[in-house]
Amino acid sequence: MPRLSTELLVIGGGATGLGIAWDACLRGFKVVLIEQSDLGQGTSGRYHGLLHSGARYAITGPSLAHECAQENAILRRIASPAIEDTGGYFLATPADPLHYPDRWLEACKQAGLQAEEVGVAELLRREPRLSPRISRAFRVHDASLDSFDLLHMLSGSILEAGGQVLLHHRLVGFIRHGGALVAAEIEDLRSASVLRIAFDLAINAGGPWAGQIANLAGIHLPLALGKGTMVAMASRPVHSVLNRCRPPSDGDIIVPIGSVAVLGTTDIPVSHPRDMQIQDQEVDALLSEAEMLLPGSTHARILRAWAGIRPLLAPSADEDAPETRNIGRAHAIIDHEAQNGPSGIISVIGGKLTTFRLMAQECLDVVCMRLGRSVECSTATTPLEQADRRFFALPMRHRQLAHRERGDIASDLICECEFVPREDIRRTLAADSPQTLDDLRRDLRIGMGPCQAGFCAFRTAEIMAQVLPQPSQDLAAFLHERWKGLRPVAWGDTLEQMELTRRLYAELLGFSQPPGRFS
Amino acid sequence: MTDLIIIGAGLAGLFAANMAADLGASVCLVARGRGGLSLSHGCIAVLNRAQPLRALDRLPASHPYQLAGKEALKQSVKAFASWMRAGDLHYRGRLGQSLPILQASGRSAWVNLAPPSLGQIHGRSVGVGAIEGFRDFAPQMLAQALRAKEDYRVRVLPLPLPRSSRELYAIDLAARFDDPLWRNETLRLWKPLARGLDTLILPAILGLSMHSDLFNLIQEHFGCAVLEIPTLPPSLPGLRLERALRQRAKQHGVRIIEGAPAIGRVEGPSGQARVIGIQLQSAGGPRMLSSGALLLATGGVIHGGLVALHPNRMRETVFGYPIEVQPERSAWTELSPFSPQAYAMAGLRVNTRMQPLDPAGEPLFANLYAAGGVISGSDRVYEGSRQGIDLATAYRAVQSIMEDSYH
Repeated sequence: MPRLSTELLVIGGGATGLGIAWDACLRGFKVVLIEQSDLGQGTSGRYHGLLHSGARYAITGPSLAHECAQENAILRRIASPAIEDTGGYFLATPADPLHYPDRWLEACKQAGLQAEEVGVAELLRREPRLSPRISRAFRVHDASLDSFDLLHMLSGSILEAGGQVLLHHRLVGFIRHGGALVAAEIEDLRSASVLRIAFDLAINAGGPWAGQIANLAGIHLPLALGKGTMVAMASRPVHSVLNRCRPPSDGDIIVPIGSVAVLGTTDIPVSHPRDMQIQDQEVDALLSEAEMLLPGSTHARILRAWAGIRPLLAPSADEDAPETRNIGRAHAIIDHEAQNGPSGIISVIGGKLTTFRLMAQECLDVVCMRLGRSVECSTATTPLEQADRRFFALPMRHRQLAHRERGDIASDLICECEFVPREDIRRTLAADSPQTLDDLRRDLRIGMGPCQAGFCAFRTAEIMAQVLPQPSQDLAAFLHERWKGLRPVAWGDTLEQMELTRRLYAELLGFSQPPGRFS
Repeated sequence: MTDLIIIGAGLAGLFAANMAADLGASVCLVARGRGGLSLSHGCIAVLNRAQPLRALDRLPASHPYQLAGKEALKQSVKAFASWMRAGDLHYRGRLGQSLPILQASGRSAWVNLAPPSLGQIHGRSVGVGAIEGFRDFAPQMLAQALRAKEDYRVRVLPLPLPRSSRELYAIDLAARFDDPLWRNETLRLWKPLARGLDTLILPAILGLSMHSDLFNLIQEHFGCAVLEIPTLPPSLPGLRLERALRQRAKQHGVRIIEGAPAIGRVEGPSGQARVIGIQLQSAGGPRMLSSGALLLATGGVIHGGLVALHPNRMRETVFGYPIEVQPERSAWTELSPFSPQAYAMAGLRVNTRMQPLDPAGEPLFANLYAAGGVISGSDRVYEGSRQGIDLATAYRAVQSIMEDSYH
């Protein structure tokens, strides 16, 4: 069995785990991070894109609000390529509690958050698609953040600093020595081989899987999982992030990001990290809330719906299925040794994507204490790497394509919705080890535009067949995966697109019959 | 005033136009956009079975084949084949025994009539042509699938284009092939590369105007069998069929008006109202066209004959008529795109004369008819029954319309 040894083993490659590994690198620790899937496959990649100003939590959690505001300012400095400074508004409609805005504004002031009332007429000049029935508007410091970009930047920075990021590696179990965890057995899911990693400390940053990871260490760690569903509109009808100015509820936000706008979110308690099935009612609720701010949303073209799982620390073990929205989004760093658990493991639970850096900082403070080191955190002042930025935003692709020679551009575009040229696919296949179309999707946005893989999946599968030694069998699997996010929004143009894709692959290209039927 | 207005320029609409014109009716065919044939493999598939006729009797009574009747299918396929025989693109095959055509996946579909360039591999030595810069065909994937399936010796042949001309879509390549000089130059360039093959597989790009005689010449040129494979749209075998049917329709006096959506117009007291024609929403303003009968060949959700609305409604688009669907949207689709889908079964309910029905089972209007994908009762993607249903229902509809006009 291959062996590795490291000071810190970080389990989980979401924003939390990557943030921790990055902080650890900067503080001079030797770090290995394992992720059971791909970057962006879990909760961080299923994020709505809102970099909170903190104003959302002004009433319910003033300290979280304050943290969000601080981290918002820091991330704009260290991760600016992933962030678009859209600005944001809190908007009250006649359907919302009349006195809430004043109370909320006062709470913002108390928490030191900037929130400035603007006239509805001025709002409508800047955002002409908004409903004229909006009664009050407040400008806040929201922004939109592309989490795929952020994850790639973190991962690139870690690699650059000498850390290791092992994707598609799953924790099988821990090895103990006395009361201490000293090593972990890790399965490489692609080669099905097992390796052993010895560590001084393991950090459980598994997000919704943190309970299962703790379990392998013999620790009971009750989590409250909340499913949040989001819908992406195939257009970007607003410039700014929009928040409802009312007590937190379903369908509070509209986030313009890249070429789309995301409607979020719902919150439904679930029992397993894989419970991500979307109910029609969730989508309908998001659309009818969006309609209050942005009339016509229900008739707009929808790209897709998806869900992510929020991992929150359960308040106490004897309450079943608590309403997760009210648990609070605050995070916790649990040093299990201090709680009479095994030594050698720390769990990081809860939190928000906006505050991932702060969580990492607090976690590393505990790590330093445990390992007897004293190094200051420097993530707040060190910009992240953006050298190997494979995950491009659409405007950047436009600029890139504009520099190519005419006549060469068009025929080389494999994904025409997201402007992915043949060359990028070939380069990504050569540089990394993506083996499925879904891996390429997360790297390059293949299949994420309006046609949802209808045309590009076939073309990309051919390039994979040219490059990879093994014939790829996953075209049908990829189409299934894309179909999943279309089903909850199957009406209008989206349904037309779905039927087109079915027709192309089943009737025209012949990919639906069981193999060997005519042999 | 024309005898018949047909809305829709897909296979059902074009077939109906030709048939009605043959029977002496004055016909106006109106289409909002291009019909669905650019998405088609260009064959006539009746059902994804080796012997489809036997299976037809087992279909539910609400299936379009049961409503149109087996005779309509037989007669329509016969008429279609004879039209194509009279033209320059000859189709082969028959209803009783399907023939397999090789597709891009390396698997085959059962069809009943096929143009000359589609079909099966001959011999063991196979070359798959990879045309430089062409995205919409997957030669390597096809070669891998063929090697895995049969004892073929498969080579992928990189095929250059003369004068470094790169073309984006199958239709552009086909337009090049329609130029005899360019075609001859290209075929000469490719000939040595195909030496020693039993079958040369190419994406379907050999010209929009390619016909049976030309295809034979191309096979003679290479000295082996040549096989075309339908590509991502625009799909040439479908477009060739569209072209043939349009030309024939025009020659037989059918008037074709394109580019404008149509709204159905009705007159008369409720219960006895008749369709008086359509209002065309043309660029210069609305324009009334009147007719003795109206045939909806507007297609399903994919072509705009039906539209699904949030949260759980569907309607027909020319008359705005509500379509019955399950109230739970989650029941419209299945987990797999390749399973039969409830939304695809939805559409206008018709009687055996192809008249759309109201909930009580009475014809909506005495002189309104429907054909093809707008009719309920089948998921044509799943069944592999698209063209058979288009022909049978269009045949039956025109037959009913002509009966009415004699009474």
